[in-house]
Amino acid sequence: MRALVVDDSRAMRKIISASLRKLGFEIVEAGDGAEALEVLKSGPLPDLATIDWNMPVMDGLTLVTNVRAAREYRSMTMMMVTTEAEHGQIVRALAAGAHEYLIKPFTTDALEEKLALLGLMPEVAGA
Amino acid sequence: MSVGFEVEELGHYVEDEALEQIVYQMWDSYFGTTEPPYPVFEPLVVEGPVQCASVSISGARPGLVTITVPDHLAPALAAVMLQDDGELAQDDVDDSLGEMANIIAGNVKALVPDAGALGLPVLARATPRPGRGASEVARLDAAWREGWLSFVVWLGDPQAAGSGDGSGRE
Repeated sequence: MRALVVDDSRAMRKIISASLRKLGFEIVEAGDGAEALEVLKSGPLPDLATIDWNMPVMDGLTLVTNVRAAREYRSMTMMMVTTEAEHGQIVRALAAGAHEYLIKPFTTDALEEKLALLGLMPEVAGA
Repeated sequence: MSVGFEVEELGHYVEDEALEQIVYQMWDSYFGTTEPPYPVFEPLVVEGPVQCASVSISGARPGLVTITVPDHLAPALAAVMLQDDGELAQDDVDDSLGEMANIIAGNVKALVPDAGALGLPVLARATPRPGRGASEVARLDAAWREGWLSFVVWLGDPQAAGSGDGSGRE
């Protein structure tokens, strides 16, 4: 499986990518929402996108909205991975089209639980 | 001019214990088994250059969250977060410190009623001055390796909202 990790922090991209690689994902990265849209246009569609909220150029909520509006990206699962922890923000993101929401800081176990809920744990998907 | 504002009231939203809990949750998540910082209760003696990352919080009570670390410890802190034993570029150090401030600020924001948006991380060689009317409401000073780490939360006067984002930047 292939995952797109979208975060303006290289440190956070590295942490998330390392966790996903251990689970068997191939990783592509983007530093903001606009760069993520370019990645989506130019390559094969990832199975999963992890998306930060607060980023320069294009934020995560705008990215989710744009992706959800595009028919060709409909099969990609989107998970917000963000420090935005208020209930209202979670509701906004899910209403915009995100499938799951993970609040930073998160443990590897919490990430795996979310992926399992989404049916994206490689061993679950391959079963 | 009376602003009808008490630091104690803002402290009800974010107390030292809440900040400590957020910091240690971040540590457990991203710093693995690396020795944690230990809280110190005496005033820090700040000598020499420092590196500081800050993230502002807009809204009814504009605020600022900072993490300050002595210059010589900043690369070690970033290296642990990145799990990278090699020599780090300053961009990587800045990025790591900025993300730590971002994580803490996001979780602080969730505790503050009518909070607005988070700013993007700002890096500096000194701890920034918070905006007008902001007061320190929570602090964690901690010893780590051959130095210290300092985490501080400022929140502003609700009646001064609109005069800035809490960062002190115009």
